Amino acid sequence: MIEFPLSLLTVSILGAVLAGFACSTMGTFVVRLNLASIGYLMSHAAFAGAAFGLMISIDPMIGAVIFSFGTAIILGPLAEKARLQSNVVIGFLFSFMIALAFIFLNYIPGQAASGTALRILWGSIFSVSNNDLLFLLLLSFILIIFIVVFYKELLAVMFNRKLAESSGVNTKLFYFAVLFFTGFAVSLSLQLVGGLLVFALIINPTSTAYQFLYDFKKIVIFSPIIGIVSCLVGFFLSLLTDFPIGASIVVISAAVFVFAIVVSPKRRKGNSKKQKLSIISKI
Amino acid sequence: MIENSNVIELKNIETFYEGEKIPVIHDITFNIKNGEFVSIIGPNGAGKTTLLETINGLLHYTEGKGYVFGMEILKNKTEIRKEIGYVIQNFEIDPLSPFLCKDIVLSGRTGKIGAFKFTSKKDWDKVWYSMGLVGMIDFANRSVGKLSGGEFQKILIARALAQEPKLLLLDEPFSNLDFAARKQIETLLNRIHEKQVITIVMVSHDLSFVPNRCNRVIVLDRGRIIMDGKKQDILKSEMIHKIFNGNGKKK
Repeated sequence: MIEFPLSLLTVSILGAVLAGFACSTMGTFVVRLNLASIGYLMSHAAFAGAAFGLMISIDPMIGAVIFSFGTAIILGPLAEKARLQSNVVIGFLFSFMIALAFIFLNYIPGQAASGTALRILWGSIFSVSNNDLLFLLLLSFILIIFIVVFYKELLAVMFNRKLAESSGVNTKLFYFAVLFFTGFAVSLSLQLVGGLLVFALIINPTSTAYQFLYDFKKIVIFSPIIGIVSCLVGFFLSLLTDFPIGASIVVISAAVFVFAIVVSPKRRKGNSKKQKLSIISKI
Repeated sequence: MIENSNVIELKNIETFYEGEKIPVIHDITFNIKNGEFVSIIGPNGAGKTTLLETINGLLHYTEGKGYVFGMEILKNKTEIRKEIGYVIQNFEIDPLSPFLCKDIVLSGRTGKIGAFKFTSKKDWDKVWYSMGLVGMIDFANRSVGKLSGGEFQKILIARALAQEPKLLLLDEPFSNLDFAARKQIETLLNRIHEKQVITIVMVSHDLSFVPNRCNRVIVLDRGRIIMDGKKQDILKSEMIHKIFNGNGKKK
């Protein structure tokens, strides 16, 4: 195990906890709104944006936020009207974003920056700065306020958008709020978890919570808890084994999810093939 | 609302789906008075759901004028929707759906409670009352994914009733239900109309289930109203049998 100064460890641990909280909290809504494809693309757009930021020598986080927001603004309305096939997103746009990112990485000036470039690719324990921590803390605080104040609206929208709209809820507002907060969560967690893996932190903890719980309120509470625990265990696994931190976090969250599928009470007797298919489609 | 005033007034309404060149419903004109129970029947693809969604402003009409509670629909849709309980066509619910019945019923009051306000005891009282009215109070803490089609339909009706609507719009409330469940829903709708001071508009493709308390039937075919009158007269007419072959499917 590598020895680190306590202050660096504290910042990194806090970063892991807050990234786990923000990503997994947004996962609750992303999974329910069937936005996995667009969210997946947003995370890779954030990766391309971070590379772009490095190329033009600005904070990669700013580039990540701009690119993921751009994706949300362009593709959000298309996905909303079901005019965007998920296989198109994954097959065409995903590879396009990765290609863009690699082109930007190729033009990053200087040797020092190439180290940063690798960090945004697969994440790094050292990459969490005090500024990142502050932004993650602010995002987490805003998310808590957003969920507490608008819980009844979010619940209505998550159950059925058309019914929520018919009751007088502005569903479009909440749809785009989910996309934008997801863009922020992904962009701010990018340097810790890495651009290629950050979206797993959105999907895996929520999918795990879905295996056990029937109450949406409990999913909203337990999904971030699972996300935080996955991040912390992944963090210490990374310290012990010298694995890249992003990969460690994703391996842990994936292992927790597989374990959840095996022991899930929802999958025991009486569950039809249709139910199983619906779980798989949610993953 | 003045007694016997029109709850719904539609004049030459025409509604398109986005990107389509032919309107789904055209030249729709009718009034529905306060307290009426009206069934709009027609074969599949007649434009029944489009008509309901035009009334509550989910779809925008491109021609004509539409008023609900005396307010123009397009200009006041958010206000109007707070007074309209909408029961969507029985959709397939994910068996793992993480929602409790009581929360679904409460969600009907979301617009009425308003933004930046929290749920009060009064809101929960309305939830318990509505669930009691549809006979589903024992299912309050059960997941909606575990309900049968009939039970789920009752929860959707309770959700609409919790809103304390002046107007109830029901989209195919008998679809995907077995005979026993249909009878239960029919009885329930009669009871709601009898107990509550409420206007009910129901669309259906099924001639065999028109609730007793419904005394007016509007027949819709290919987006146009072709008959509008008393239930007994419409159901006995020859024209209705030209449109339907007796089981709700188009000839």
